[in-house]
Amino acid sequence: MDATILTNVVDALPQFDGYVYPNERTLHPLWSVLIVVYPYITGLVAGAFIMASLVRVFKLKALEPIYRLALLTALAFMLCATLPLLFHLGHPERCFEIMMTPHFSSPMAMFGFVYAWYLMAVLLLELWFDYRRDFVEWSKTETGLRSLIYRAFTLGVTDLSAPALRLDARMGRIISIVGIPSAFLLHGYVGFIFGSIKANPWWGNVLMPIIFILSAVVSGMALCVFTYMFLCWARRITADMNCLDLMARFLFYALVLDATIEGLDWLHRLYSAEEGIDVLRSLAASKLFYTLLIGQACLGTLVPLLSLGTIQLTGKKISNLNRCRIYFSCTALILMGVLAMRWNVVIGGQLFSKSLRGFMSYKMEFAGHEGWWLSMLLVALPFVILTVFIKYFLARDLPTIENVVPGGVRPTNSPEAQI
Amino acid sequence: MSENITRRGVLRNLAGIVGGILAMPAGRTCKAAVQHGLATSSAPKGYDPTKHKWLMALDVDRCIGCGMCVEACKAENSVPQSNFRTWIERYVITRPKAGSGESRGETFVDSLNGGIAGFKPSLIPKEDILKSFFVPKLCNQCENSPCSQVCPVGATFESPDGVVLVDKNYCIGCGFCIQACPYGCRFFNTTTNTADKCTMCYHRITRGLRPACVEICPSQARIFGDMKNPIADDPLQKFIENNKTQGLKDHLGTKPRVRYAGLDEEVR
Amino acid sequence: MFKMPPQIIRLVLLTIGIVCAYFTARYFLTPASFGQYGHYRGNALQEIASREPYWAGRKTCDTCHGEIVKKLAKAEHQGLSCETCHGPSKVHVDNPEIKLPKMSYSQCVRCHEASPSRPKWLHQITPNKHYTGQVCSECHVPHQPNEVP
Repeated sequence: MDATILTNVVDALPQFDGYVYPNERTLHPLWSVLIVVYPYITGLVAGAFIMASLVRVFKLKALEPIYRLALLTALAFMLCATLPLLFHLGHPERCFEIMMTPHFSSPMAMFGFVYAWYLMAVLLLELWFDYRRDFVEWSKTETGLRSLIYRAFTLGVTDLSAPALRLDARMGRIISIVGIPSAFLLHGYVGFIFGSIKANPWWGNVLMPIIFILSAVVSGMALCVFTYMFLCWARRITADMNCLDLMARFLFYALVLDATIEGLDWLHRLYSAEEGIDVLRSLAASKLFYTLLIGQACLGTLVPLLSLGTIQLTGKKISNLNRCRIYFSCTALILMGVLAMRWNVVIGGQLFSKSLRGFMSYKMEFAGHEGWWLSMLLVALPFVILTVFIKYFLARDLPTIENVVPGGVRPTNSPEAQI
Repeated sequence: MSENITRRGVLRNLAGIVGGILAMPAGRTCKAAVQHGLATSSAPKGYDPTKHKWLMALDVDRCIGCGMCVEACKAENSVPQSNFRTWIERYVITRPKAGSGESRGETFVDSLNGGIAGFKPSLIPKEDILKSFFVPKLCNQCENSPCSQVCPVGATFESPDGVVLVDKNYCIGCGFCIQACPYGCRFFNTTTNTADKCTMCYHRITRGLRPACVEICPSQARIFGDMKNPIADDPLQKFIENNKTQGLKDHLGTKPRVRYAGLDEEVR
Repeated sequence: MFKMPPQIIRLVLLTIGIVCAYFTARYFLTPASFGQYGHYRGNALQEIASREPYWAGRKTCDTCHGEIVKKLAKAEHQGLSCETCHGPSKVHVDNPEIKLPKMSYSQCVRCHEASPSRPKWLHQITPNKHYTGQVCSECHVPHQPNEVP
């Protein structure tokens, strides 16, 4: 109809089409790339921890080689988790208020406590119980700064008797058990932040926390596989195929579950066709076409599902080398796909007006505190920290090796099991 | 040497210290209450927020879309140029296609610059217009406000006299409240780096004045009053008695307190 | 005799230390008036209320220009505030010697220009068809529109 074009010409400023509320006409979305990066990072933490807990809680011995790597990965990412938020706040110098006067009806207020609990009572504690014996021994065999660091981390507890080691193993197991719901809480509350916003039909959805948790588990597991393979390549050793195959199997199961729930979300939306469905459907088809349909759905979910599924069905018929190639490329795709999913949720939810009558469009900047550059740095930083951790805590030249079996009995170190 | 130091003694001392630390917040609240009583401020003296309950009502049939309320609000509250604490929307509903059997054609909504300079004539030809009207929008001062529910630090809140306010000296600028508001009335103020929104001109109503938009409106589309202290021939009471009213997006359960009369189904 | 393992003792002490540090920080960093009326700083109400008003308001004009306000009350412009047409008047209230700028006809047109969106009860004119070349006040008295000058 002619009138459509005419009215759109009157109101069509560069940033939006249709009708959007005057306060929505901003140059950048309010929650920008930094808020895309934050759930990505905490999701990786939760997922890596779940992978590690498969060893302790479910006693899967085949995954022993990646136990410490998974925990250190989780810790490296955990340390960087607050950075995107601090950069994003209007008043970062007031950030302590969230812990001093938390408003308990707000899921965001839970952040301070959940983060502190997970960092201190779960991650650091579990790592401490696992590494305590090594810290005591390394503090005696190493020299200089490294010796000092190891001695500090022993917290002065140098008892290495059999009962003490048994207690270490038992505590590690208990903390792993406690850690699983804690990991769900750590990332689930982020999903709840979005899921609780009834004002936004893209976000306010009961499945949102579930989807966030499941895609977090998928991304964390994929990260473990990815870093393990990368580390093996960097150290010129062959990866333990039993470990890799088992990790990929769990990754596949998690991916199936994640794809099912995300598919259910879409199915339900399209079927019940509530008020905002027209604007959401055109959002998915036009503005989010590349990131949602191609990036998240096709490349990030469907292709890995088919590839990993094929491996599950054909078993060892595919050669080790080809399996490794598939694992490496699939996990890379999954990691990109989960980042795309965070983008689609966070940015996608801000691309349409709450009047349900229009769309905004934003330009991504390179520099500036909502730009690409800072976010890329923040995603790269945990890897740098992880490298430092590996150097100090997973180095090959350290005398004792990390295959601690529950019960405190160390097996003889086989070459394939070494990282 | 260790006879006097017993485990019980150490534990007792520890409990004492912990108990003392936990009791500190209670002590400081008492201290603050005393200080508050003695404190002076430049705010209106003698104003007790618990003795008032402010309410605004909007009569859509009386809005002429002149945009003077938007201008008045901007001047009164130093609102940044690209943000709006209140704004006017123009709805143009076209006639249905001949023979289609529809009750109405497409709806077009616009609000150029919030309507601050009024509205230029619509480019839709007059014969195609079935009906058209203006709707003033502002913060609905919800009773069950989703914005104050999600504030992580307690920087936005419902005051005892019925106004949802933002404490700009405490807000951390996370933007959660802006996302949670279904009405689009909140914005991020880049001057203060905090969330911002209509305060019902709190600094005016506490002095017995009317909000700027109500004061300036030439057609009595905006009605304002104190539900706890109605005056003689209170326009607000008359409005509530004589009109069938509703709030915006009632189905979301936010319990918006601002009452609208004459709202069309197309208004979001 | 049960002996507390050294790891547990060390960790419990550390936990107690962290909790105490938290509550101490909380004591010092929570603002004094917090929690007075609800989960927010009670002083915020006074701070927000202490802003200086910008528009004087009709009641203020009434104190000196009562006859005009009474005249207004007789006809259709009775609901109007003086500042709607005359602009912000604080400077005149503080010093009545300072006069406000003269009115222009665009002020009348702003409300009275015909538009299909405006309600029918409003008297509307199309400016380029309604006595072009003349000023509104030649035929209309703004303070009492039903009167002829």
